[in-house]
Amino acid sequence: MLLRPTADDLRLIAYNVARMLLISAVAGVVPLLWAIAAGELAPAADFLVMIGLFALLGGIGVASKPANERLDWSHGMVVVALIWMVVPIIGSVPLFLSGNFASWLDAFFDAMSGITTTGLTLAQDIDHMASSMIMWRHILHFLGGQGIIIAALSLFSGAGTATLYYGEGRDDRIYPSVRSTSRFIWLVAIVNGIAGIVALMLVAYLDLGFSFMRSFFHAATVFMAAFDTGGFAPQSTSIGYYHSAPFEVVVAVLMIAGVMSFGVHFALWRRRSVMSNLETKTILFTFGGTLLLTLIGLATAGAYASSAGLGRQAFFQVLSAHSGTGFSTIPSAELATWGGLAFGGMTIAMALGGMASSTSGGVKSLRVGLTIKSIASQVKQVLLPEGAVISDRFYQNGPRHLTDDLKQGVMAISLLYVALYLLGGGIGVATHVPLQNALFESISAAANVGLSVGVTTPAMPNVLKVTYALQMWAGRLEFISVFALVGFMWSLARGK
Amino acid sequence: MRVATLLFFAALLIGPPAMAAESVSATMLLQSPQEFDGQQVTVVGELIGDYGYRDDGTVWTQLNDDPYAFNPLRDGGRLLGGNVGIGIHGAVGLFDGIDPPGRYNRVGPLVSATGTWRYHDPDRGGETYLEVDSLHIMRAGHRLSESVPTTTLVLGTVLVIAAAGALLLARRR
Repeated sequence: MLLRPTADDLRLIAYNVARMLLISAVAGVVPLLWAIAAGELAPAADFLVMIGLFALLGGIGVASKPANERLDWSHGMVVVALIWMVVPIIGSVPLFLSGNFASWLDAFFDAMSGITTTGLTLAQDIDHMASSMIMWRHILHFLGGQGIIIAALSLFSGAGTATLYYGEGRDDRIYPSVRSTSRFIWLVAIVNGIAGIVALMLVAYLDLGFSFMRSFFHAATVFMAAFDTGGFAPQSTSIGYYHSAPFEVVVAVLMIAGVMSFGVHFALWRRRSVMSNLETKTILFTFGGTLLLTLIGLATAGAYASSAGLGRQAFFQVLSAHSGTGFSTIPSAELATWGGLAFGGMTIAMALGGMASSTSGGVKSLRVGLTIKSIASQVKQVLLPEGAVISDRFYQNGPRHLTDDLKQGVMAISLLYVALYLLGGGIGVATHVPLQNALFESISAAANVGLSVGVTTPAMPNVLKVTYALQMWAGRLEFISVFALVGFMWSLARGK
Repeated sequence: MRVATLLFFAALLIGPPAMAAESVSATMLLQSPQEFDGQQVTVVGELIGDYGYRDDGTVWTQLNDDPYAFNPLRDGGRLLGGNVGIGIHGAVGLFDGIDPPGRYNRVGPLVSATGTWRYHDPDRGGETYLEVDSLHIMRAGHRLSESVPTTTLVLGTVLVIAAAGALLLARRR
């Protein structure tokens, strides 16, 4: 029998969602202060409305504090799915008020793209957008990439809060407590932030010849988008705007740092090798493979006259696709002309994604590695004599056993990603988008990449905007929290 | 659009270098970049973003010829899609005394830029851009005034006060 959630369940969920909304309100103060400092009066008022909404809903929710604060598994999952829906809904308010979006749906799409670190956009005239509004879009990347939940966990403790951590699609537990792990994740972000912003500023100020404040603005926004594998850029031409190899090198390093799981960051901090890990081997193999495909595709098409040009452009685009960042140094119109192997290389790179428990999306390298291992094991089983015992082991921060449960879990999530890619592609085709472009854009949305071949525009049908927004949401949360929310809503409506 | 057309034709009449080059739009260059590789072209548009003054005595910036370059959004223009722009590169002397580039609340100078279209330039790591020889200013850049949106400000203030009340209530409970 399906049980209807009780009033206490609802209060518990509201209370935990509310705490995250208060954190979002605090995050909203940053662009407000930036707007005031930059003399951007209208955006400042827009941010005030957003902060007020976050804080008011947060205040009401916190006031409904239940007697029992213990979150069980299903509560945690529902809280996570709700937060990742409510924050972009309220976070889209200043975007909509900015006048750079044709409708609230477009603004919501942008906010969802921001928080899920996707990078697809329906913003119009970004090049004249208020710098504070651009800053807010990038802060959404940072909030989503580092995790609003992580921010909450590092501040609050409480019984059952670990479910929130896992609900966000993370499974790295670096320290025994989730709170310590969350604090470590923030430490990684802060250290990388200082190093990344300083490096980008130095290039922008000394090499590109930008003014000091503009150097800081570009450095801060590009850092948040690169490290959190987001993909929004302060100018419409993305990283191509800078026309600078040194700038691209720093961005590439930040994308690599973003694609690494926090477990790998931890190991590197402790000067431990991660080269034996199945995940590291897999990502190096798939990155090398997709880069090679793209290089051969572009070379045979004669796209670049020099090997330096071919190498630089292919490396950056494939790294951006594989890491799930979505930056580009070439226009969408040109990317759309990449056919054959180059297109295949980019699409596969996007679909596979980065490391588990990192800020990138897609199937994730560990699942890819385990899927390959599972298939190899099945083949061995068939080839060896009946009764032969095959030991399924792999190395990931220590020797591990590939159990049947693990195999099933990995296969299920991988298949769900494939289904999500195909579903979005199918809806794209149904709205008269050519198959190749529909698949590319669907994978880009569901794997939280953000590269576009020109399908994602303000003129695309609303059904496609909603589809891509939902794909970003489900892809970022790795399905389970989304299913939990759907189940919760169902039991709320039909339970007894 | 009428203003855009007038400015476009005005650009064709200004300055002898422009007469020798083919007048194109940024969209044409981006849609068929290979077709114009190595050709002298003239593009009319607004300078946007930053002027990047490099050590080699050149400047990099962006030139947009989308509808917002001619009818700024914050000056009565309408939303008509995304930006369309190309990178431009030229000697620092071309930018002497030029108004700041377009940004929020600032309309950048509208220029007619003539130069050589470089597609996947092998000397610059495969970059695509317009190597500018001449730059004619057709409209000076200027700031746009911004008024405080009273209704939004009042709404925001009321919401923040209400939120403070709710939080106070939560604390007391």
